[in-house]
Amino acid sequence: MNDHFTRRQFLASGKHLLGGAALAMLRGDSAYASTGGGLPLETHFLPRAKQVIYLHMVGGPSQMDLFDYKPGLVDYYDQDLPDSIRKGQRLTTMTSGQARFPIAPSKYQFKQAGKCGMWLNQEMLPWLAKKADDICWIRSLHTEAINHEPAIAAMQTGNQVAGRPCLGAWASYGLGAINENLPAFVVLVAIPSNREQEQAISSRLWSAGYLSGEHAGVSFRSQGDPILYINDPPGVPRELRRRSIDGINALNQINYHNLGDPRTHTRMQQYEMAFRMQASVPELTDLSSESDHTFEMYGGEAKKPGTFANSVLMARRLTERGVRFVQIYHNNWDHHSNVGGRLPDQCKDVDKPCYALLEDLEQRGMLDETLVIWGGEFGRTIYSQGQLSPTNYGRDHHPRCFSMWMAGGGAKGGTIYGETDDFSYNIVKDPVHIRDFHATILQLMGFDHERFTYRYQGLDQKLTGVVPAHVIPELIA
Amino acid sequence: MFRQNSIAALLLATVWVSFAAAETLEYNRDVRPILTENCFACHGVDSASREADLRLDQREAALEYGAIAPGDSAESELIARIFTDDPDLLMPPRETKKQLTPKQKQLLKQWIDSGAEYEAHWGYIPPRSVVPPAVEHQSRVKNAIDSLVLSRLEKEGLAPAPEANPRTLFRRLHLDIIGLPPKPADVQKFVADYQARHDGALSEWIDRLMEMPAWGEHRARYWLDAARYADTHGLHFDNYREMWPYRDWVIRSFNANQPFDQFAVEQLAGDLLPNPDTDQLIATGFQRCNITTNEGGTIAEENLALYAADRVQTFGWVFLGLTTNCAQCHDHKFDPFSTKEYYSLAAFFRNTKSPALDGNVKGGKGPTLTVPSEVDRPRWNALPGEIAAAKQHQKQRAEHSEGDFQKWLANATPDSVGNIPSDGLAVQVPLDEGSGTEVRVDASTVSKVKFSGPVEWHDDGALGPAPVFRTGSTLNVGNYGDFEKNQAFSYGAWVKTTKQGGNVGATGAILARMDQDKDHRGWDLWHSGNVISVHLIDSWDKNAIKVSTAQNVIEPTKWQHFFVTYDGSAKAAGIKIYVDGQPTGMKVERDSLTNDATLHTDVPLFIGKRSKGQVFDSGMVQDVRIYDRQLAPEEVRSLAKSTVVGALLAKSLEERSKEETAVLQGYYLAEQDPQYQAIAKQLGQLEAEKKTIEGRSPITHIQKEKPNSQPVAHVLMRGAYDQLGEEVTAAIPASLHPFPADAPLNRMGLAQWVVDPSNPLTARVTVNRFWLEVFGQGIVSTPEDFGVSGALPSNQKLLDWLAIDFIDSGWDVKRFFKQIFMSATYRQAAATTPEKLEQDPDNGMLSRGPRFRMDGEVIRDSALSVSGLLSPRMYGPGTRPYQPGNIWEIMGLPGGDTRNYTQDQGEGLYRRTIYNFWKRMAPSPNMEAFNAPSREVCTVQRERTNTPLQALVTLNDPQFVEAARHLALHALETGKGDDGALTYITQRVLARRCTEDERSILLGSKEDYLRHYENSPADAKKLIEVGDSPTSERFDAPTLAAWTMVCSQVMNLDEALNK
Repeated sequence: MNDHFTRRQFLASGKHLLGGAALAMLRGDSAYASTGGGLPLETHFLPRAKQVIYLHMVGGPSQMDLFDYKPGLVDYYDQDLPDSIRKGQRLTTMTSGQARFPIAPSKYQFKQAGKCGMWLNQEMLPWLAKKADDICWIRSLHTEAINHEPAIAAMQTGNQVAGRPCLGAWASYGLGAINENLPAFVVLVAIPSNREQEQAISSRLWSAGYLSGEHAGVSFRSQGDPILYINDPPGVPRELRRRSIDGINALNQINYHNLGDPRTHTRMQQYEMAFRMQASVPELTDLSSESDHTFEMYGGEAKKPGTFANSVLMARRLTERGVRFVQIYHNNWDHHSNVGGRLPDQCKDVDKPCYALLEDLEQRGMLDETLVIWGGEFGRTIYSQGQLSPTNYGRDHHPRCFSMWMAGGGAKGGTIYGETDDFSYNIVKDPVHIRDFHATILQLMGFDHERFTYRYQGLDQKLTGVVPAHVIPELIA
Repeated sequence: MFRQNSIAALLLATVWVSFAAAETLEYNRDVRPILTENCFACHGVDSASREADLRLDQREAALEYGAIAPGDSAESELIARIFTDDPDLLMPPRETKKQLTPKQKQLLKQWIDSGAEYEAHWGYIPPRSVVPPAVEHQSRVKNAIDSLVLSRLEKEGLAPAPEANPRTLFRRLHLDIIGLPPKPADVQKFVADYQARHDGALSEWIDRLMEMPAWGEHRARYWLDAARYADTHGLHFDNYREMWPYRDWVIRSFNANQPFDQFAVEQLAGDLLPNPDTDQLIATGFQRCNITTNEGGTIAEENLALYAADRVQTFGWVFLGLTTNCAQCHDHKFDPFSTKEYYSLAAFFRNTKSPALDGNVKGGKGPTLTVPSEVDRPRWNALPGEIAAAKQHQKQRAEHSEGDFQKWLANATPDSVGNIPSDGLAVQVPLDEGSGTEVRVDASTVSKVKFSGPVEWHDDGALGPAPVFRTGSTLNVGNYGDFEKNQAFSYGAWVKTTKQGGNVGATGAILARMDQDKDHRGWDLWHSGNVISVHLIDSWDKNAIKVSTAQNVIEPTKWQHFFVTYDGSAKAAGIKIYVDGQPTGMKVERDSLTNDATLHTDVPLFIGKRSKGQVFDSGMVQDVRIYDRQLAPEEVRSLAKSTVVGALLAKSLEERSKEETAVLQGYYLAEQDPQYQAIAKQLGQLEAEKKTIEGRSPITHIQKEKPNSQPVAHVLMRGAYDQLGEEVTAAIPASLHPFPADAPLNRMGLAQWVVDPSNPLTARVTVNRFWLEVFGQGIVSTPEDFGVSGALPSNQKLLDWLAIDFIDSGWDVKRFFKQIFMSATYRQAAATTPEKLEQDPDNGMLSRGPRFRMDGEVIRDSALSVSGLLSPRMYGPGTRPYQPGNIWEIMGLPGGDTRNYTQDQGEGLYRRTIYNFWKRMAPSPNMEAFNAPSREVCTVQRERTNTPLQALVTLNDPQFVEAARHLALHALETGKGDDGALTYITQRVLARRCTEDERSILLGSKEDYLRHYENSPADAKKLIEVGDSPTSERFDAPTLAAWTMVCSQVMNLDEALNK
């Protein structure tokens, strides 16, 4: 009998009988034991990405204004997008009624960055450019979804219909927890400095879906308690909390003795874990131990709770402390209008902190095993939505091509993968469907996406779904 | 703590026992699970993924193919393929990563040798009537449930647990029936009564508890999970959805013990019942509880396809226990549903008026129903009839008034219709010249002024021919209307907007003395769309008054009289707007005129524009009047009536057209005919009453069938809304029992089919879900899936007996539950033994009483109940109890109406949790920690995890801390010292006294708490001030704080959190 079978049967019958299990994973000088039911599966390969930080840009960043350089379009300013390019593609009802589709060339200057020669909008992303050779650039992502709700769901869970487990939940399910005092999967919702047009995000995005609830993301908040209810009530100091948990568990022990219900023991452990979590969270969120050097790297905004810079610094601290998967959402990338006014704010929020995160992880020797992912749920159209001027325009949703990047954790730095046509409209080389992207990430985490399954409703469910998905070897170092 | 390998061994043992116990092979129990797991994905129902054209799910097909030779495994290709060493031939193929165990192979061989008999899937065979078997522990049998449970237990060699302590039993009953713990006095009474009268006493106590309204609150909670009820739309803005009358209906239905078949029919097709009453329409809200969106850019067809898919999924899970949604994209892999059949089922739910976008409004833009309160309902129901009767009466009077009208007309003169106020008339512009560009202005002197361009005159004016105002054709009247803010004045005119379809989007000044170059200083009569506004401005928009009509009062293409009076108070409240002589409802948009403000400007008075523009384009204006005083309401009324009527009366009989005579007759009836006036007054009162009730009544979403339209749907290829396949009509899956012959082919027919006693699924699925509520897991452990890939019943005879009994009882829900509660099975103690933990780890065989961590709602309600804080108030809009900050705020979109959480004050903090406002994108976080679902989709079984986050809730959430303080207070109020207080607390929370061991632990804790708080009184004060309720001064702070901690400790015990 293999472990896989055992685990499955175990979960099916004695659901959550155990609070922890004996995974010993050594990391540096400290030994961690898994908890929260986080029994890991056996991986199929040696994991390259033992931890993940996923930076989701909610709304869909404009690929041709940042990564997908189309110099030839200057000559096409305000000309109609040729039908041969659009090919009758379905549009959102926000622009499907537009009389024409005038091309809006990017107003920004692009320059090549790094030895890899990645063409980048260095006006907006000067810091990220310094990391060009550490980054694996993908310019040929595509998806089917054309509106935010289903598109974010697809990006996070592999399915447009809400309710499936997300990538972070799969990571928790597959790799388990490292630190017994913190959740395996943590979510941070960063507050953008510009809030002109935000999109709805909800906890369904970090739900465990059909996986056991313990794999759901735990949201760390920037205001109030970082974890809900983590703080003892006013007037209850730590030593009194310790005393009360001792009292609770002494009574529970009597109850266990009388009834013999193993779940009583689980509860006793959970109260202990709650206590330890309470102890570790203040240390985690206390940034006073960070050096000036850190804040120079991440920028002063990192001191302000809730900013993107603060969130990525928290992500580094969480990763350092053994959190398996950190998901950050950064909103307001939905630039239907005023790209010129809003893109600078967005880039200012993320540029330097992303650079700092990669630099920081590298300096701490963590980048090799920590995968950083950056991207939105779809791209944007080359044609302008609404008013077009040489310096300002809007862009509608575009699922047919968009750009993302990864770094660390086994992703191949300096790679530039995929090409789109002259209009950044259709992919002409090396398409990467989001399910291929998922398959590749799972591969980096040590799992064959075909075999990384969970039985639900009689079927072996997987992140990559039923349509064949392919690992992209060129993206792997 | 167990180790992993011992669990594995334990599980193996369980598996082994079930095979060893099998006397003869049963296809459904022994063979089908192996085939399902290993073979059917490629050799089953789904034709698209079928390999080698072989089906193994149908005996005939398998035989014909030669895969199976009944009685002769050696001749069966299936056996050859599973035993072969040749990797190219081996089944299941290696790439599937599936592997048969030697035992499974042996079993298949044995099955074929014994004739390879198939059985239809158990769930599709109607339940067979079961005679409860005789059992060894006959003395433990209270009813048939026990015989069937014991028969199974005895087969496994297990003995039932002894009966629970009566106190424990009573606590369990309370929690199962009303979801609240018992009061200590009742515990005592019950214990005595139960010891004296046993079953008789139990029966009466159960009845008593079931009569409490809390029964319905507790039962409804489970149904609302399944119905995915919530108070927001769910997607994008996730704005408020008014739906709570449906929630309240479910509670009332359980309390009224509505038979389950009616309960089902009303929710599926209440709107299609003959003359449905309010409740039956509210019930259809079940189908409107799905999540909806109003996201810009989404495509209507896609939204509708998703909504239909959700309704089909919910329907399948709740009533049939079938995962029909698998067939949305492909033929079901295991159950006999084709994709076509899925869309045929969807067709039942697509012939409705539910819209694709919810508009981000509480009514969701779909069919809704106004639901007046019980008090209002009689009047609400009577009003439509009374209004119709009054209208009829009014019409009759009009028809019979000819003689009286003529009599009046014979003597009527312009003067007899009332006086046109002349006092204080500063200026009048009649605008009735009928030609040219010069018009008369009557003021202290008469003068002529000229239009700015050519004028188009229309003959159908209110008072003779009227001019049309356009850009380039407006009127500078001259230096009139120069008022200050402390002067009273009045102004207005007859107005008609000629644009067909109204003025939506258009704005313009009808009349203005306003300087656009000086921050719009001055005053005007303004229209924005079909709303009339008045501005009094010093500088817009900081120092100004703006009031507008609350409604769209402009009726395009109709002459109307708009008039404004102002009292010189410099306040918005000093302005009144009249429409046709009647004061109209207004809203104040600006009211910030400062003390030193002025309205004085040097620009002249304009008709049809402001100083620079903002033209009343295509509008017609007549009889402009400005008074330098505030006209009284009756004067305005007289003005509105008299100007037109007076002019008509001035004409001779011959000059009057038929239409003009009709206008006079209308005037006569409204103003001069006492009979007609009495009726009109009555009608006005009735309509006002209706409006008032409507204004204070909630609405609720209901379902409505499209009239004159057949339920059809398109097959969507791979589930994609834009890839239409063939059109299908509504139908139920062919493999299930037939549609009732006389039933209509719509949701009503579907509902009848669902509750048809020959439906093999509905009753089983329902009793299984009820069973799950009590025992923590169903007899079928996959309550949403009774299909081939679902779990087999742990005790099918029990399930079938319960289902048949339920139908035979007339789907009597209370009786059903009572039967469970009366059974010895339910009354067992929850104590387990190592032996039982091995053989029956999940208590699926019922070898002991039910014990599991309660749902979050029960835990919160119990805390409120034991502390005495729980409000008994039932029903109504969602409540907003304690919630950490930034739960909604971080999720919501700017402008969303559920973005800011405003916590209730007082009673709203202490209502039962079922009344919590349920925001789907951010449900109550303390409930979410205990696995409460988001209610975005149907949930028929909550997950039940035990996590540290739960401990944090019950230890630290102010709701629980405050409850602990109140419990402590009551305990101290007993005045019986430490022991008295402890007894009070444990009796209240655990329904028992504490033991000596427990006592010493608790008192030890208390001493430590007290020591701390006596040393740190500031801490004590902080703790006892948690929560909104005022703290008590009766006890010193350290004592109350220490006992608060003791109470919190008891409320956090495993025993307190478990049933």
